[in-house]
Amino acid sequence: MSKPFIQIDDEVREMTDEEYAELLATGWTPDTSVEPNEP
Amino acid sequence: MTYPSFASGDVLTAADMNAVGLWLVKTQTVGTAVSSVNVTGAFSSSYYNYRIIYTGGTSSVDNDLKLTLGASATGYYAGFAYVAYGTGTVTGLANNNATSWANIGSQRTTGNSLDVDLFGPNAAFRTGMTARYFGISTGAVGGGMGGFHNVATAYTDFTITCTSGNITGGTIYVYGYK
Repeated sequence: MSKPFIQIDDEVREMTDEEYAELLATGWTPDTSVEPNEP
Repeated sequence: MTYPSFASGDVLTAADMNAVGLWLVKTQTVGTAVSSVNVTGAFSSSYYNYRIIYTGGTSSVDNDLKLTLGASATGYYAGFAYVAYGTGTVTGLANNNATSWANIGSQRTTGNSLDVDLFGPNAAFRTGMTARYFGISTGAVGGGMGGFHNVATAYTDFTITCTSGNITGGTIYVYGYK
């Protein structure tokens, strides 16, 4: 499975393993919809 | 002349230009299916306070956008009160020494939104923050947030990160207040 994309100014690329690990550490998930108080 | 009413052909003096209160510092178009956007060169000593606005585009899921300063992943404090459009229910959330200002913006399949003022992000003081939250869909919420970053460091860049999924398109505008 490919890693998510990161954008730095105009550059868009796939995240490095380190960047992906940092993103996962924030609790990020690929496809969860959980906006607060959504009915 | 009487600022801000100018006539065709008027000469703009330094005094006139220095009286302009809000300057567009940077625009950044958001790419396709990105989970985070780092905007560099946004803050400098030219301005003390900044406004960041992001609208347009879409999201792969309905969730919230986070904001961080530089590479800092600690010390984010905020209080967030919001009201559900559909029910009127009022809810409060807090960021207590969090890793980001979570819930500071909205990522929706029907449109993304973020409206933030930062106070002194490029100064070696603690950065203040206020934000207006407005989810762009019938099932979303609206609210207000205020807080600060408890790290006395000067930053030049910020990052908007999805809580989940990714976003595509829209434009981030960064304005500096004189």
